[in-house]
Amino acid sequence: MSETVVRATGAAVTIAYAALIAWLAASQPQSIAEVTGGLAATVGAYEVDAVSFGEGRQMFLRDEFEAARSAWSRADPAGRDPRTQFYVAYSYYRQGWGRLSHDDALYAAGLDTLNRAVAAAPGGRIVVSDPELQLHTADELGAELRAGQRREWSDLNPMRVFGSRK
Amino acid sequence: MTPAREAFALPLTFLTVVLIGAIRLTTPVAIVPPTLFSLVLGSILMTVFIQSGTLDPSRLVGGDRSAWANTNGLLALVALFLANAQVISRLTPDSGFPALVVGALFLVTLLQLAAAALDRVRCLRVWGVTLLSAFVLKFIVVATLAGPADRPMARALQALVEGLTFGNFSQPVERAAAGYLTFAMLAVYLMGLVLLPCLQHSALSQTKAVLLPPDS
Repeated sequence: MSETVVRATGAAVTIAYAALIAWLAASQPQSIAEVTGGLAATVGAYEVDAVSFGEGRQMFLRDEFEAARSAWSRADPAGRDPRTQFYVAYSYYRQGWGRLSHDDALYAAGLDTLNRAVAAAPGGRIVVSDPELQLHTADELGAELRAGQRREWSDLNPMRVFGSRK
Repeated sequence: MTPAREAFALPLTFLTVVLIGAIRLTTPVAIVPPTLFSLVLGSILMTVFIQSGTLDPSRLVGGDRSAWANTNGLLALVALFLANAQVISRLTPDSGFPALVVGALFLVTLLQLAAAALDRVRCLRVWGVTLLSAFVLKFIVVATLAGPADRPMARALQALVEGLTFGNFSQPVERAAAGYLTFAMLAVYLMGLVLLPCLQHSALSQTKAVLLPPDS
């Protein structure tokens, strides 16, 4: 192998390695699955397991939220798919919703998941046309989650018990 | 120095140091870039390496080398600089009084190294001892004093240290593997420093030194 080839290959490998380290610092992955999924998504090779996603959706519609999230974590192990993560955030919303009060911890987890989904979505826009859902965009879901976490005088309104979960 | 060492071994070794040094085994796991202060110290360390002959930059970048050779040399130099900063950053406690003390220790040591104008072997020896001392301070002394205490005597000692430092001693808790990971990083880093192209004294200058009259 000629010296030029060795040097050019070395430079390319070094730059790729440095880019990988910079990407890791920027994306802060928490597991090997997130690392591999993130890298696959970078080159457009990341795919969601449709069967697990469908199973998760059926459980979600039966209000089995934790089981649904478990199925979605199999479907989207790297947490890179905006649609799946939108459903995960929605599951936190529905699980945390209460007629008298909402669960702040679940709402916060939902908002956190939704923010990551929006960050991964092209153009930061998520639209899900599922007739079983009442909130179809990340903007609507985000507004509900944020409103649920706020402390307002309207929280004391007795008519609130007639509100419905979306 | 062979092209393979210059193109692969040096930059990849130092980038591996940067990667391992960036990993914080906290909950959640974090990838942390070097601090600004460690970048400053890293640049002083580069000066020390050049001054001591540990690193001869003209053997990595120069007008008599090809464009690809200069590219490899430049990448190796940048990787070395980042590794210097990352090693210092990793061995400095994360916050509070311990961070101040160890940061000052590094600064004083580097200034002393720069002023002493040591040769390559002595410079590497002093730097290696400094790094091991900082490792012991952070991962054994500070970790013991700031970590969870299970005995009354240990709790009393922690309360005393916290009181003496006005509550500025506590550190983020890392898993036990963090120390082993950092030790591995140090080993790779020191191996990389040994691989650096050092200053070569020419045979001609040595001959001149011999031929000089004793009273000149």
